[in-house]
Amino acid sequence: MPDLVTLGLKLGFLALLWLAVLFTAGAIRTDVFGRKISTNDLAKAEAASRKQMKDAKRLAKKLKLTHGPQAGTSLSLGSPIVIGRADDCQLILEDDYVSTHHARLARNNNYDVVEDLGSTNGTFVNNQRISVPTQVGPGDSIRIGQSVMVLEK
Amino acid sequence: MSDVAVYRKRRGVEAVLLLFSIATAMAGYLLTGLDIDAELPAEWPWALGIFTGLALAAHIVVRIRIPYADPVILPLIMLLNGLGLAVIHRLDLGGSERLHSAERQLGWMVGAVVVFCLVVIFLRNYEALHRYPYLLFLFGLTLLMLPLVPGLSRENHGSKIWIAIGTFTFQPAEVAKIVLCIAFAAYLVDKREVLASAGPKLLGIEMPRARDLGPIAIMWLASMAIMVFQKDLGTSLLFFSMVVVMLYIATERPIWPILGTLLFAGGATAAYFNFSHVQVRVSSWLNPFSDYDQNYQIITGQFGIAWGGAIGTGWGLGRPNLTPLAKTDFIAAALAEELGLAGLVALMLVYAIIVARGLRAALGSQDPFGKLLAAGLSFTFAIQVFTILGGVTRLLPLTGLTTPFMSQGGSSLVANWSMMALLLIITHHARRPQQLRSETPIIDFTSDTTMVLQRQGA
Repeated sequence: MPDLVTLGLKLGFLALLWLAVLFTAGAIRTDVFGRKISTNDLAKAEAASRKQMKDAKRLAKKLKLTHGPQAGTSLSLGSPIVIGRADDCQLILEDDYVSTHHARLARNNNYDVVEDLGSTNGTFVNNQRISVPTQVGPGDSIRIGQSVMVLEK
Repeated sequence: MSDVAVYRKRRGVEAVLLLFSIATAMAGYLLTGLDIDAELPAEWPWALGIFTGLALAAHIVVRIRIPYADPVILPLIMLLNGLGLAVIHRLDLGGSERLHSAERQLGWMVGAVVVFCLVVIFLRNYEALHRYPYLLFLFGLTLLMLPLVPGLSRENHGSKIWIAIGTFTFQPAEVAKIVLCIAFAAYLVDKREVLASAGPKLLGIEMPRARDLGPIAIMWLASMAIMVFQKDLGTSLLFFSMVVVMLYIATERPIWPILGTLLFAGGATAAYFNFSHVQVRVSSWLNPFSDYDQNYQIITGQFGIAWGGAIGTGWGLGRPNLTPLAKTDFIAAALAEELGLAGLVALMLVYAIIVARGLRAALGSQDPFGKLLAAGLSFTFAIQVFTILGGVTRLLPLTGLTTPFMSQGGSSLVANWSMMALLLIITHHARRPQQLRSETPIIDFTSDTTMVLQRQGA
């Protein structure tokens, strides 16, 4: 091949290599700060995906105690469960921070709903104290006294 | 209403960059054929097909399984791997008889990309790696020491960092670096508060407590053993600096790098005065021309780089075959000879961008394990590139480490591809829009206003 063609091809290759590097640098430059979107849109997208998830697997099958003196215990859901210290409760928690009849977990219109029965120390769903009956699903946690329980599929 | 920043998926950018990588690698391969034989190689459609197929497979798996992964890492490693294949093919043609090691290397690349895809598919949640720090540590250390087992090791230009089982040879340090990185990330996430706690003061600097020196002491002993018995400074430096940097990142205390540098410098100096082979390594680094026969490899490598000049001789027009082991240790010198300084600097930039993206993932990652793992992996990668390119350009004593993604050799290729799969998984988790509410309940009784009291006699 003529020298000039060889030189041209050589320079052309180096140009291509550097173009790849520069293009990569450009891609990184537009990526530094991400894209600004409003929290409203984010919340909407979040809600949509959450609703999809909830619809697909909104019913938990098991309630499992993960923290507290009785950690490890689990019981199946379906019939209403009253949680408290009294003997007629379905889930008895031996804990001074638990009221006699503390909370109730019942299935209502294909949703599991947890309701505080006027306890002294309160019932917490995902670490927030509830004041009205609250819908719960798989993955949510309920804290009563020193015990934490998680709903599982 | 406020604005938040979210990262786009940017898989389209990745696809475009992959096209650049394929074009660049193929151009190198085709130009070699044009310059040496004055015609295109007969099997070029096959090469293009297989290489494009691999890029497409990796891209699709990433697009489906980890859509928020960093868009530039995959194209850059395809570019490095493609350039490596082109250089190996060029060296195949340069000898007195034509070899076919580039085809074998392409076969290894197929295997490596399959492993990459499997890791991405089955390990989307890297938290599972968090569980067995001590087992992984033992496994990694065993791998690292394997070349010292008599009968297994194979000496390669003075250093013993290879093992041979039958005809299959393998550099265990390549796998060990990933395993130890995971082990240390898991260990440090659990122990970093203890390790950061104050010890006695010395010269106004708070020293760590003596009992916390365990991990750094074990790794110091291991890296000194590698330097003395496996005779390889690069591997020794790689593993020791990995531990020191991860300790520093986990504890944020400057005493660790200071202590690490002093320990390594002290150990290296002691090794220099006590072992003749370390002195030989240093003299062939500082005065290679004093012994032409012994330092033949490094001298021809230097001449090659010098002959290449600013823009190189062009594909196939240099004589990189004069350097022994040009396909493994000295592949960067072969590339520098034919692509010149312009090509070598571009290569270094590509490595630098990969490292920078890895560290960026560490900064952006929300969970401490992913953060440490990403930082550790990218730093280890950076040290490896630095030692081998430094060795080839005589900035450092030469080591037997591989040039990631370029050197001929299957184990290194598979290990590096799986390491990048791990890094991409972490970038996916780091760049994904964060959920507004944490999925796992935060349990914190200490913040409660009530106190738990033990009943008398209970």
